[in-house]
Amino acid sequence: MAVLEIFMLPFMQRALIAGLFLGLLLAMLGIYVSIKRMAFFGDGLAHASLAGIAFGLLLGWQPLWAAVLWAVAIALLMYLFERKTNLSSDTLIGIFFTASLALGVIVINLMPGYQPDLLSYLFGNILSVTLDEAIVITVIAAGLMIALSLGGRRLSLLALDPQQATLQGFKTTGLTIFLYVSLAVAVVLGVKLVGVILVSSLLIVPAASAKLVSRSFRGLKRNSLIFSLVAVLAGLVASFFLDWPSGATIVLVGFVCFIFCWLFSRTRQQKIKL
Amino acid sequence: MPTAVQATEVTISFGERSVVDRISFDIAAGSVAAIIGPNGSGKTTLLRALAGLLPFAGEILLFNRPPSELRGQIGYVPQRLEIDRSLPITVEEFLQLSSPECFSRRCLHADLYERMGVAQLRKHLLRQLSGGQFQRVLVARALLDQPKILFLDEPASGIDASGQETLYQVIQHVSREHQTTVIMVSHEFEVVYRYATQVLCLNEKLLCNGPPNQVLNEASLKKLYGENKVTYTHHHGRP
Repeated sequence: MAVLEIFMLPFMQRALIAGLFLGLLLAMLGIYVSIKRMAFFGDGLAHASLAGIAFGLLLGWQPLWAAVLWAVAIALLMYLFERKTNLSSDTLIGIFFTASLALGVIVINLMPGYQPDLLSYLFGNILSVTLDEAIVITVIAAGLMIALSLGGRRLSLLALDPQQATLQGFKTTGLTIFLYVSLAVAVVLGVKLVGVILVSSLLIVPAASAKLVSRSFRGLKRNSLIFSLVAVLAGLVASFFLDWPSGATIVLVGFVCFIFCWLFSRTRQQKIKL
Repeated sequence: MPTAVQATEVTISFGERSVVDRISFDIAAGSVAAIIGPNGSGKTTLLRALAGLLPFAGEILLFNRPPSELRGQIGYVPQRLEIDRSLPITVEEFLQLSSPECFSRRCLHADLYERMGVAQLRKHLLRQLSGGQFQRVLVARALLDQPKILFLDEPASGIDASGQETLYQVIQHVSREHQTTVIMVSHEFEVVYRYATQVLCLNEKLLCNGPPNQVLNEASLKKLYGENKVTYTHHHGRP
């Protein structure tokens, strides 16, 4: 089967659309996560969302949306505690995500029998995305990307120099909450595609790779999106032909991309020294 | 001359500890005011509160309005700005984040970038700059929108001698020509004497307040720094 033919398959079309939109959204958010040095935030939110998934399964709700609500609540709590205590973000993430994960384990324990759905959230399954889910993921991701583009300068300055953002008269509280909520939503939607364990890779790796090879902020943003697209597209194709798990393959392609970027940046530095 | 800053019974505390204790002073518009005092005396804290970046008790008015209502008209240069050195962002992009409009139509202060040596750094990445060059960029950023009031926290730290001279001349220029009120924290008495029109001596409380030739004397400096402080001798030749 040729590469293009696999995208004639409806499940691959759904996976591709949902994957590309979400990959782009996570790559955009990854820039701010990288500037604010809060890489752990995405990982923490993904793990914390497990409790939401467990509550959803227990109460018979759609687990994904229960997880979105749960992660948004955790993100807002994190913001509140950041403001009201002197504890660092990393410490707070460590506290909240382990507590939420522990709650998830207890809730799972309350449910009788084997939970196949739960396992799919741990490692994700992009190929199982339904048409409805693909539409909702695309609409939400597109909406958030438009909002992030419109607020790009403000968010960038807020991430880089919050004091200056305040002096410029930006609504820093609203912007920060918007960033945290966007992260929570994007990470949990990413859980559906690549799972709790791997989602933070889509958030961190494209921006980190782009940092290595970019020579401007504009370039960083552009390259981060390109690397995310490459990871999702090449990962999906490779997983189909190699019969590997799709989420893990996407993450590995992203990692290979990072290694190439690193090698490229080293070569460039050596040339400059010569 | 109208009043740029009116501080009344201002107290700033971190938990139980007061860092600035019930101080009151006025600063006239267009002045260059210097806040001096030993390490840990509350200078930076006071400066940040005046700029509206810290909560406080009492009242602070900038041009008869609370600092929060003057946002967009305040320039601020921090003592140090920690930025991720791996971030690829050019000087121009960094400045555009604060003021895209000013950059596209070249604002009134554009000539000052050239004098300060920032114009030639526009395409450089921030991570390629030395500490002194970065400090100049921060000062340039603070001037971008022609602020009514400029807060500088040891603005010359890390800048070489000739760069310092240029920096203070620029500060004097914006004060005189554009009537920008400048409030700076400084440890350098020579600079304070040459460029400031008002000096505030702070050590938790306001210990002196007045023109440099009245305030920078043996008695008030001993009161501020203690008996062991190095004696300041002013060399005449004020510009």
